[in-house]
Amino acid sequence: MAYTAVTGGKEAIAEAEKLTEFFRLKDAQAILTVGMIETQLRLLVDRVMGEGGLYAPGYAALALKQAEGDPAEAAFLLRAYRSTLPRNHVSTVIDPADMRVLRRISSSFRDMPGGQVLGPTRDYTHRLLKFALREETMDDAESFLGKYREETSLPRERPADLAEPATDREGRAALPAFPKIADLLRKQGFMKAAEGGRAEEGREEEPFDITRQKLIFPVPRSGRLQMLARGETGAMTALAYSSMRGYGAVHPTIGELRVGYVPVAVPYPLDEGGARGEPLYIGEILLTEVETIHPFTQNASGEALFVPGYGLCFGQNEVKAISMAILERSLETSGTAPAQDEEFVLLHIDSVESNGFVSHLKLPHYITFQSSLDRIRRAQRAAGGKEAGEGAPEPQTGTPVGVKTETATAAAGKTAEADKEALTHGSRAD
Amino acid sequence: MAEMTRSRIAQVLIEGDREFLKRLCGQIGERYRVEPVRPPSRTLVMGKARDPVSGKPFYLGEILATECTVAIGPAHGFGILLGEDAEKAYELAVVDAALNARLPETAGWTAEFEREERKLVERWKKDQERVMRTKVQFDTMEDSYGNRL
Repeated sequence: MAYTAVTGGKEAIAEAEKLTEFFRLKDAQAILTVGMIETQLRLLVDRVMGEGGLYAPGYAALALKQAEGDPAEAAFLLRAYRSTLPRNHVSTVIDPADMRVLRRISSSFRDMPGGQVLGPTRDYTHRLLKFALREETMDDAESFLGKYREETSLPRERPADLAEPATDREGRAALPAFPKIADLLRKQGFMKAAEGGRAEEGREEEPFDITRQKLIFPVPRSGRLQMLARGETGAMTALAYSSMRGYGAVHPTIGELRVGYVPVAVPYPLDEGGARGEPLYIGEILLTEVETIHPFTQNASGEALFVPGYGLCFGQNEVKAISMAILERSLETSGTAPAQDEEFVLLHIDSVESNGFVSHLKLPHYITFQSSLDRIRRAQRAAGGKEAGEGAPEPQTGTPVGVKTETATAAAGKTAEADKEALTHGSRAD
Repeated sequence: MAEMTRSRIAQVLIEGDREFLKRLCGQIGERYRVEPVRPPSRTLVMGKARDPVSGKPFYLGEILATECTVAIGPAHGFGILLGEDAEKAYELAVVDAALNARLPETAGWTAEFEREERKLVERWKKDQERVMRTKVQFDTMEDSYGNRL
């Protein structure tokens, strides 16, 4: 492996940047505001937040605007930005059981306590282009919203089995409760209870942090889940799909999938009145949580139990959360399939790493290629044949090895990060 | 009525009527000298979740927040909320400092917090009712044909 930097090209790079701006704007019919992206491309914003590892809808929308809609570039911008901010707090445990549910379904239980709620979904709609959207105006939007609000504010008979609000409770606790299906299965003895049991919060070991600690395989389970939570949706879906198709051993049913707003709190940092450490609400974040149920196993004592899988990610990103649950379970099984190989899965699902590494091929590789040319010439000479390109002008392969330059383009930055990360993980093949 | 914890108060102030927080902060600001200890600034909050399989926590990802610390006399106050909102973080800190200092203006605030919380919960219930209109009852084909016979 050998790297060299190139120099020069500053003017061309500056012009290329201006040309990019030109292409971003030249056919614009109106300026796309960050607010429009945040509110009307919400699933893309959610995806970028998840892959960027930063819950900040406004910044994700800004990154998408800057990246002209490229989710990988936007996630990279977001991750780069987060590295400039201090991290002054770690939340108390965020519990999706406290979720204000927008959607909650199960493919395992038709009649689940609290009921199945489709919420905002396209799962059961025809995939037909809505040509009317081409002509959509604000008047159309307001007209729909007005009618919908009026329609949904009318009293409606409450189905008998609808989750009832708890009348003796106050605040958030007064909202309808949706018990976790996996918890019910655990209580009834059908599913494995948490392996280590729960230690009291504040006394338990802090999780592994992939943003602060060097990744060495095998990664602790907490680090594995963190990597999956900020994995790239497409890559995770592909690997989870491979496991379900037979390149692996995991094909679950969904015990429960829920999407909704979950409260976040941090320990109160002041000493006033002995309050230090008391949880302090700071807002709600939208999460998707999936608990999968896998074919049961029998332990040594002959006890038969379903095995759970777990997925949790920022925003509404259901295919990612399901894929996370499949992959985390798959990584707990042994076998030779790619989805069972921890290093293979975790290092290939990271958007910044994979995009950066593939993208770096676009940057000058003159020395690498020059050495390939030298080798092919030697091979041809050794074979006694005529060298290809004999008499042709020598290709200009650029800079001597080891010259440091300042071509600090975004792509170069991406390469540097990818290289650094790849080297850290010891996976360079170049 | 259970005690209004600091967290429940923060929930009301953050999610409730914007004018309510402004008004409480204004009541204090016009009568007391509020010293900025740490002006509003952006911070990351690492979100911690619990893995139900192992029972142990893991880090889900970071969350953008704005925080602020102020002092009213010897009492400090801390404000923090998700997102980027310097003004609101400051107002939360002022209200927190006023409560910590047990200023006389805060005497009637508990009743106001409770009233605002009821409004907030009503709003959430309405949102929930909208969502519950999508509650579904799937029948198996067997059930469905059985019902027709």
